[in-house]
Amino acid sequence: MSLFLQQILNGLSIGLVYALIALGYTMVYGVIQLINFAHGEIFMVGGYLALTVILLFSLFFAQVPVWGALVAMIVFSVLGCALLGAVVERVAYRPLRGSPKLTALITSIGVSFFLQNAVMLIYGSKEQSVPPILPYHVFEMGAISFSLMQVIIFFTSIILMTLLTRFVKFSKTGKAMRAVSENREAASLMGVPVQKVIQATFVIGAALAAVGGALFALNYESINFHDGYLAGLKAFTAAVFGGIGSIPGAVIGGICLGVFESLGAGYISSEWKDVFAFILLVTVLIFKPSGILGEHLPEKV
Amino acid sequence: MKKSFLLFLIASFLASAASAQEDEVLIGLVAPLTGDQAYVGTGVLQGAQMAIEDAHVRGPLFGNARVRLAPLDDQHNPTQAVLAANKLASNPNVMGVVGHFNSSCTKPASAIYHEARITQITPASTNPDISRQGFDTFFRVCPTDDVQAPAAAAYVYSRMGLRQAVILDDQTTYGRGLADEFKKRFTALGGTVLIHHGITQGEKDFAPLLTKIKSIKPELIFYGGVYPELALLIKQSRKMGLKAPWMSGDGSFDVTLIKLASPQFAEGTTVTMLGVDPKSLPSAKDFVARYQARYGPIGSFSAYAYDATNVLIEAIRRAGVKDREAVLREVRAMKDFHGVLGPVNFDPKGDAIGKSIGIFQVQNGEFKFLEEVKPE
Repeated sequence: MSLFLQQILNGLSIGLVYALIALGYTMVYGVIQLINFAHGEIFMVGGYLALTVILLFSLFFAQVPVWGALVAMIVFSVLGCALLGAVVERVAYRPLRGSPKLTALITSIGVSFFLQNAVMLIYGSKEQSVPPILPYHVFEMGAISFSLMQVIIFFTSIILMTLLTRFVKFSKTGKAMRAVSENREAASLMGVPVQKVIQATFVIGAALAAVGGALFALNYESINFHDGYLAGLKAFTAAVFGGIGSIPGAVIGGICLGVFESLGAGYISSEWKDVFAFILLVTVLIFKPSGILGEHLPEKV
Repeated sequence: MKKSFLLFLIASFLASAASAQEDEVLIGLVAPLTGDQAYVGTGVLQGAQMAIEDAHVRGPLFGNARVRLAPLDDQHNPTQAVLAANKLASNPNVMGVVGHFNSSCTKPASAIYHEARITQITPASTNPDISRQGFDTFFRVCPTDDVQAPAAAAYVYSRMGLRQAVILDDQTTYGRGLADEFKKRFTALGGTVLIHHGITQGEKDFAPLLTKIKSIKPELIFYGGVYPELALLIKQSRKMGLKAPWMSGDGSFDVTLIKLASPQFAEGTTVTMLGVDPKSLPSAKDFVARYQARYGPIGSFSAYAYDATNVLIEAIRRAGVKDREAVLREVRAMKDFHGVLGPVNFDPKGDAIGKSIGIFQVQNGEFKFLEEVKPE
């Protein structure tokens, strides 16, 4: 039983990271019906920015307390990725606003290759080790144990998701986002600045992915320019599973995917870990093609 | 008039092309030069480059033939490996190939070289199945996993006295092959394999698998695969309090393993390596010194690449003509070639004879040579 709970906990911590990335997929899809395949790479860039901050701190500001470095790291990667998200939207997607959806989709794959190779050229192709900045503290609760990092992942993502939900529900930009996703033309006729809202969606999505990337880099202490691919694919699966376009759907999808993978790897076989993720997706799509909480039919990709 | 002029042009072009080709002999080198294994691939490339430079010092191979290296990148991706092999096969100047690095790349490429009659010498691919395909063009200067993994199993069983092992591999030709050979010998000796699971290359989160292994309480975990995943496995296992020692093969013999896993966690990890440490060999002393002066720290497979390239250069020199079959005959006939890692001899399958296995252990943050296991 305790083994079972431990596996659920393992799945929860990776699932929350998937959820943070999935939110970006789902929000962008909700607003412009684009599957932004470059989103996984934004996550990876977030990890590298975090690594850069940690290295800078260990070189120049060694006296700064751990919490200061942690906050600086998150702020820096969030700002960096938000800027990157805005630039990608402006340079790669906005000129294609009127063109067929497939064009933008293929562009996003191109952007993904571009970012991967750019990072490879800047940081090198070797697996980079991220110096640990937090103590390896393990909390024991009966037979279950969890690390300090898992606690941080848990609280950070819960707080961010709550903030995001409130933002989308109550803020002016959030309301505008919902209006644009409901009907772009009508929203624009009502005076909603559609272009700005789309940009804001990319920026928020990228910022969430940046937090995910920073936490991921800190937790696994190793980072590679390839990391965005698999994580992005899993998060995309989570978004579709939860119902693409739905924010609570992305969170539920991410958590379910993480837990399901963890149980599959722990109880059946680890070589089937990815297979379980995709079996879950296929099963849901057969019985409920719009995903758990989705309303629209997903586009064929 | 017009027609004959055209013919004359074509003929003179062909003649000039032929005379330009005459003095160029190419040796292909294929390894992962970009991607996540670029680091080891670069070490292989530099080893081969040194051999080529040494050959230039000695002058032309025959006539006015100068040897050059044609490096290609396979990104440790079998599809790229096949593309690279086809590219080399279609170039008539290519007389031999040093490569590839990963068994999963060497195996499909070996069929293409066989078809094109190009002699292929791999410096590092250890999967035993490659030489069982019956290709007479395939050679290797490194020992195979059916030598390496049994040596590891015997060391674990007899010297460490461990009986209960968990086996993991990365599901590649190399990793799975190594793990299977380890399992075969370990169970034959009387050890028990509790579970044998695969992981996916590029995966980062091994918590579910390690949680399961922790509950089984093995005495040892053997990993067939390459260091980036092993580093994560070691680190994550230690963080969750799994204390069983780790063991792996030549793919994990890389200082980056210790850095990525962090020295405190990597401590005590045992790794088998092909042959002994080149730095401890008197025959390799000069090579290691020159290499380090030119490129910095020596790669794990640089000396193998140097020997493999030298075998090819010597074979081309002895053949004295630009003919792939003649080069192949000379490599086949090669006896006790003087390599920096000791004499090079091939058995009829093309596998290296008489190569021993070195057992290394991470102690105080670096690989310490423990002992040499002589070939059976």
